[in-house]
Amino acid sequence: MIKFLKKELEKYFFDYLLLFTAGIFFILSLNLFRGERFLEFIVLLSFISFYIVWGIYHHLINDKFHLKIVLEYIMIGFIFLFLLKIIIFP
Amino acid sequence: MKFPHLKNFFYHLFIPKEENNFRSKLLHLDFLSYYLLTALFLTFLFKTTPLLNILGYATDISIQKLYELTNQERQKYKLPPLKYNEKLSLAAYQKALDMFNKNYWAHFGPNGETPWQFILNSGYQYEYAGENLAKNFLFSQNVVSAWMNSPTHRDNILKKEYTDIGFAVVNGNLNGEPTTLVVQIFGKPQNNTVVINPPKTKAVIADERNNAKIKNPELNKPEILARNEKQKKPPISSFFFNFNLVFIVLLTITLILDFYFADKIGVLNLRLTGKNLAHLIFLVFMIIGVLIISKGVIL
Repeated sequence: MIKFLKKELEKYFFDYLLLFTAGIFFILSLNLFRGERFLEFIVLLSFISFYIVWGIYHHLINDKFHLKIVLEYIMIGFIFLFLLKIIIFP
Repeated sequence: MKFPHLKNFFYHLFIPKEENNFRSKLLHLDFLSYYLLTALFLTFLFKTTPLLNILGYATDISIQKLYELTNQERQKYKLPPLKYNEKLSLAAYQKALDMFNKNYWAHFGPNGETPWQFILNSGYQYEYAGENLAKNFLFSQNVVSAWMNSPTHRDNILKKEYTDIGFAVVNGNLNGEPTTLVVQIFGKPQNNTVVINPPKTKAVIADERNNAKIKNPELNKPEILARNEKQKKPPISSFFFNFNLVFIVLLTITLILDFYFADKIGVLNLRLTGKNLAHLIFLVFMIIGVLIISKGVIL
């Protein structure tokens, strides 16, 4: 598993760096707009949209693009959008 | 006693094998659709059920808990506990209503309203007074922790001169957003044996950021939904907060197990699925996000 992870990260270093950087920006922005519910939601929506686009982009360049994969990213993204929305806008 | 069916069932849910097309069943698209439908259902249930809408609007902040936690902090420094004062609570409530009505988030109002004006209007003649504010927190513990982590708010909580305390937790719309405001007011009544006219008063406000956001009050129609102490509400925010965390943890465990066993049987690169590593990175950021969102801001 570690071997695979190492290989995967080496092979797609730029992709994962991009995802990680976006995640850091997500956390920093959430912290910056803490208490501002509308802005918190916008930040969440932006990160989730980025995550879905990242998934599509990553699998496109990987030659493993399939509608099933796109749906997987969209569903995971939207599940968290709705779940966190309940906390942001109680 | 063995339960082979149960074991197989769990294997089917968590471990990739031929029967589940080498992907944990909990990560299949049909299961992801169920999660999405559940999340959608909860969102609409929360918005459309009148009971949940009124009660769930509030966070899990209670005056009783805030009072206990504040006195616990004082006890740590061997300071006498503060007495709960109804007049100070009324002042706190009036202050919160004023912020909603005039659409500002600050110690001082747009028309020059001061925190001590509300205290005096409530009939509390003070020698010392102070005010702490908090907005959009989910839990009482987080409010008091945030105040204790801020030097000015902490000074207010630990000020030895104060003898009384009052709170208000009020829900409404501020700047067009559903908002929960917490107002904490400290005081020490004037000693009646010493009558000074005009009274020498000292008001202390924890004012780290006096960034009043003033908009046209005419355009904003404040909607005060509840006053915390009158509510007997179920811990709805707490339920959703824990539900989110449990769901994220369950999904994380499933992804790790799926990743581990798929790698073990050598099908990781052969499957037509999303990347578990990417999903795991996303989930870690979601966990941190949930924890940040549960914390509001103080003033």
